[in-house]
Amino acid sequence: MEVYNTMQYKSELEEIAHDARKPLNHISMNAELLKIMVDKSISPEEIKKIADQIILSTKECSNTIQKMTKL
Amino acid sequence: MKSVLLVDDDLEFSELACRIIEYLDCDVYCAASIKEAQQWLSTQTFDHILLDFMLPDGSGLHLLDYIQSANIPSSVTMVTGHPSVKNAIAELCNDNVGHLTKPIDADDLKKILFTTSHKTKVEGKRDSKDYTRHFGCLIGESEAMKEMYLMIERVARTDANVMLLGESGVGKEMVAQAIHNASNNTGDRVSVNCGAIPKDLIGSELFGHEKGAFTGANAQKQGVFELAKNGTLFLDELTEMPIDMQPNLLRVLETQTVTKVGGTKSTPVNCRVVSATNRSVEEIAQNKVLREDIYFRLAVFPITIAPLRERKDDIPLLAKYFLNELNQQHDTQITMSRPDLDRLVQHDWPGNIRELKHTIHRAYIMADLRHKCLVFPDTLDSPFSRRSSATTQADCQVVQAQDQLINKPDIAVGTTIEALEKELIYKTLDSVDGNKTNAAKLLGISTKTLYNRLNTYQHSH
Repeated sequence: MEVYNTMQYKSELEEIAHDARKPLNHISMNAELLKIMVDKSISPEEIKKIADQIILSTKECSNTIQKMTKL
Repeated sequence: MKSVLLVDDDLEFSELACRIIEYLDCDVYCAASIKEAQQWLSTQTFDHILLDFMLPDGSGLHLLDYIQSANIPSSVTMVTGHPSVKNAIAELCNDNVGHLTKPIDADDLKKILFTTSHKTKVEGKRDSKDYTRHFGCLIGESEAMKEMYLMIERVARTDANVMLLGESGVGKEMVAQAIHNASNNTGDRVSVNCGAIPKDLIGSELFGHEKGAFTGANAQKQGVFELAKNGTLFLDELTEMPIDMQPNLLRVLETQTVTKVGGTKSTPVNCRVVSATNRSVEEIAQNKVLREDIYFRLAVFPITIAPLRERKDDIPLLAKYFLNELNQQHDTQITMSRPDLDRLVQHDWPGNIRELKHTIHRAYIMADLRHKCLVFPDTLDSPFSRRSSATTQADCQVVQAQDQLINKPDIAVGTTIEALEKELIYKTLDSVDGNKTNAAKLLGISTKTLYNRLNTYQHSH
């Protein structure tokens, strides 16, 4: 039973890690996009949209980590 | 422009990656499943495929098997968000398959798209022994072509501006590419269609603009002269630029510097200008479609490209080349009969190489699959080719008027909204050189919606 619980715990942890990695990837790529957009002198409005996406992704990531603490 | 197929079911990742790849000047298409990717691959060829490891309808490895068994020549990069499978993927990699771990950045993409695509380019040049690509892009062994190769070789060593003269469809853009390839230029080749620039934006397009220079100038923009720094600027349809707009161009050519619209600082221009027109020198002079001072600055070295009917020796080479390309794309072995080849040689090709290419493509679509041979129509003439055979001044004007009409949507009662929407989307894409982010902005829809529409159109064929 203990082995089963350990395996179950590990599997859930892996799933949450996967879910957390996704928004982190988005944050990283949005930041990459921001760098390019600044170089290309894209309008501040467009840049703000990307920043908003980053904020959304951080919230998503935070929620996922919250789930982890409840395991 | 390199073409990339991105296969990933994480739509947010796909949209971000697409935008980054577009900024790297690549044409990018998306698929969210193996099935969608196979649909794209059955209709188009890509220089590079970015492939997610885990897809909703199977593993990316299944698609990799499909790509390899179908002999699709694209380079493939497996992309994974799972560091644990990174090593397993690394073992699968070979000369044509690489891997990346998410998150990916622009440098990673640049490295894989431009390093491996070079290899693809070299592989792509493994042509049949029937023809050789001169300067990497020109096919033809006729006397007229050999003379032109010599001119290209000579002029490429200098920094002289070149004017290409030739009928529609003779391959002026290819010759411009050949000059660029043969030169020691380190910059890019930048193309601009002078007839397609809106009058109000000519200055901005040629010289760029500063932020706030005019309403809507939300950011600084580089002009084509700056973009072609140390490279080649190809001014297509030069004589279609309205005469009252031409002084803008003259200013750059005379001063060899550009000043952005709304700016004060001038930047030196360092690029070769290759211009092209389908009008003859006599017509340019008689009709006053080009200012004399501009003509002499741009036509330092004029090259007249012979129409296909004057170099019939090249017709079999070109026909075999186009057929070979189609066979490679679709992994087929369709052939062409000797009588058909003779018919192609006898035809006058008023629409030149473009018309020949389309005729081969049509015959390929209609091919007899049992006997594996091309099926040509009874007559090679088409209403379009008859129109383009116009040689008189009056006829030329008709052709121009028709060309202008092409830019206007043909709204006839009975046309469905869907058909109009499709036409608008494709024309908008054409106007921004296929950049989907910019096209979506112009159309007032999201990039995702645009991708969805394109996907639908592609698969409804």
